[in-house]
Amino acid sequence: MSPLPLQNVRIVDVCQFLAGPFAVQLLATLGAEVIKIESIQRLDNLRLMGGYPQPDGYEWSAAFNTVNVNKYSLTLDLNHPRGKDIFKRLVKASDVVTNNFSSRVMENLALSYEVLREINPQIIMLSMPGYGTTGPWRNYVAMGPNIEMLAGTPMISGYPNGSPMLNGYIADPFASLAGAVAVMVALKHRQRTGKGQHIDLSHVEAITSFNAQPIMDYVMNRRIQPRRGNRHQSIAPRGVYRCMGDDEWVAIAVSSEEEWINLCNAIGNPSWTQEPRFSDAVARYSNHDALDKLIEAWPCQKDKHEVVQILQRAGVAAAPVLSCSELVRDPHLEQRGFIQEVTHPVTGTYRQHGFPVKFSDTPVRIRMPAPTLGQHNEYVLTKLLGLTTEELRQLAEEKVIGTKPLGWPYSEEVDEHDKKLLVGDQGSGVREALEKQRDIDEEETASS
Amino acid sequence: MQTALDGIKVLELCDRIAGPYCTKILADYGADVIKVETPGLGDPIRSVGPFPGDKPELETSGLFLYLNTNKKSITLNLKSPTGVKIFKNIVKLTDAVVENFSSRMMPSLELDYDTLKKINPKPVMTSISSFGQTGPYRDHKSTDLTVWALSGILYETGEPDREPLKIGSYETECVAGLYGVLAMLAALYYRDEAGIGQYVDVSAWEAFHTTQPYMVLLYSQLGVVKKRVGLHWPWGLLPCRDGYVGFFFGTQANWESLCALLGMPQLLDKPGYRSPLERDEHREEITSIIASWLKNRRVEEVFHAAQELRLPLTPAPDMSQIIDMPQHKARGCFVDIDHPVAGKLTYPGAPFKLSETPWRSGRAPLLGEHNQEIYCDRLGYSKRVLVSLREQGVI
Repeated sequence: MSPLPLQNVRIVDVCQFLAGPFAVQLLATLGAEVIKIESIQRLDNLRLMGGYPQPDGYEWSAAFNTVNVNKYSLTLDLNHPRGKDIFKRLVKASDVVTNNFSSRVMENLALSYEVLREINPQIIMLSMPGYGTTGPWRNYVAMGPNIEMLAGTPMISGYPNGSPMLNGYIADPFASLAGAVAVMVALKHRQRTGKGQHIDLSHVEAITSFNAQPIMDYVMNRRIQPRRGNRHQSIAPRGVYRCMGDDEWVAIAVSSEEEWINLCNAIGNPSWTQEPRFSDAVARYSNHDALDKLIEAWPCQKDKHEVVQILQRAGVAAAPVLSCSELVRDPHLEQRGFIQEVTHPVTGTYRQHGFPVKFSDTPVRIRMPAPTLGQHNEYVLTKLLGLTTEELRQLAEEKVIGTKPLGWPYSEEVDEHDKKLLVGDQGSGVREALEKQRDIDEEETASS
Repeated sequence: MQTALDGIKVLELCDRIAGPYCTKILADYGADVIKVETPGLGDPIRSVGPFPGDKPELETSGLFLYLNTNKKSITLNLKSPTGVKIFKNIVKLTDAVVENFSSRMMPSLELDYDTLKKINPKPVMTSISSFGQTGPYRDHKSTDLTVWALSGILYETGEPDREPLKIGSYETECVAGLYGVLAMLAALYYRDEAGIGQYVDVSAWEAFHTTQPYMVLLYSQLGVVKKRVGLHWPWGLLPCRDGYVGFFFGTQANWESLCALLGMPQLLDKPGYRSPLERDEHREEITSIIASWLKNRRVEEVFHAAQELRLPLTPAPDMSQIIDMPQHKARGCFVDIDHPVAGKLTYPGAPFKLSETPWRSGRAPLLGEHNQEIYCDRLGYSKRVLVSLREQGVI
């Protein structure tokens, strides 16, 4: 096997849901050996969101299976003294520990950074709860869309003169990226100095910096920027225009006077392009509505790919609005090998996206599918920690480890049709499972 | 205290947002970043607003000031052979080169990875571009909006009966920049373990797609293509007296908390409101009950009351409300940075905090501010040579 950039790094990971696991997956794909810890008492909740109410339903969550590739799975009850002991032995043998709980949870488990540092003075610990580990809101709850909102994004997003809008799903992955970068910065520092440290990452802070432009505008000019849809702050035309077919669109983005002239040429220089109200950048921007109406007439009877071809040939930035079904068979992505085929022991063979970076000497890719629950208990406990088969048997008996969740309530298979209904338009809506999640959450609260 | 990336020397040949954001993060955590700019004009982002009082000036673009903190600026004309020669001399003293031009640019300047490798035996070179260095669209023109369009995410965002809608500021650029930091540091980490440098190719399109991580798997496994649905129910985003709040009540526990917050326990037993599916059918009714309850209340009051009930309800601030949020004040999320031309301004601060190594709150450089330091002190050119280079338009 060819070498990987982080092949000498080991990470013990107790993250849950999306933001933490995806951060750690980025490091896993770069080559780190990641041991993901769940327990049969408490699954990663992402297994439930999008899982199916059937016997092995917790292995089917598309969300879970997307953000946990290249990881090993170990189940470990951290509330059990033997579970805690094994966890500490793993910390001793690792470089990084990652979690996305509020600081209260790790303290209640007696596994705070101060404790872990005693065990391994070189350890790097990433804590990435929504609001960070300090401050008056540190124990407050937030989900991905809350984070998007707290960063100010919806108030600058939306159709012109319309209500604020959010995407709802992208704040978590933004925080993940910042989390992976943070660990990488700390690893680079440790490589040089031998010193570990604690990383305190607030999703809100990490994402707020994405809005530096409107923030600096407020700071400089006390201006609250309006919602302007797909438009730029000062350049026109920019927009998403309807093409031939059902829900087919093209994005056109002019960035300079030269591109404006190119656009006019590409669409055959209709007489309106010569009107004074479109004569320069400022005029075009102040007449953006009228300009959009006139441009709209051109692509609306054409195939979006044809529109893009004409405009790119003329030297104008344009792209088709791709749905997922088009993206997976796009020739450019195919040539770059971005979409990979993965075979999972339970859910079979499917496609998912790979890593968006190519390394010339240490290529990275999806090497292993997301693990099934406790799939690597034996590898981790015997190969890494040297436990005996007999000890493993005892641990299973005491429910410290296992491969089936305790109290999983579903005994019947769900048919294909129902699966689609369960996933719905949100891709995360197993309502019944969400109700179960609540029960599990209450248990957790009771035990911590 | 020493910074985390102390001693790492980075040469930046970037403009606009993605590349400079990448090297800004490196510089803020301690890397020594030299930014190469075109003589006289500088990074084109210097002419993009906001500007104080809306007066465009080379040294006061808010975006430039934010994206280039803690860097050193030199000017160098890479269209002149002398300029290219000087660039190569700087490469000799560098650990990593970052560029974000179109894929033909570096080879055309004879500054592609293979050439740089002959000058410096183990450099890490990172290219950040919209499409990557290979593939049939590599020469296509692109902006933040077209990357959104290609990512698959635009298609899913917005109202069902309207055009797809991008959100935020320049998310695609920031995401590509962060992948750039991650990949480059990983490559440097490997270099210091194995003694081998390498070339790193970041595609902004692919990078941005990954921020909707399970899109492809969901489609591949179940054939699901998500459609635009506006705001995803049961999420709400509604105005209070003094601003907006956003909230979720998808689980039974959330719904019970919401009813408690509203002081309307009778809603729990109300026919048509009992299950999530029934509540879906009465969306508008439920939304209007919540809206009329919120409209005369203050954000702060509703927020804390909801959080007491563990309901994920938070403020949805506009830019005038963000800086003063108590959590940000307590954690120092924003910092004041002084600049000789732009003056003292408040900037977004560290994206994460490291316990042992400080984040730096230095300012952005003036155009060519470090010419003398880099050319004379580091490369050993005399002041006389510097004057002559300036006269020739090389710097």
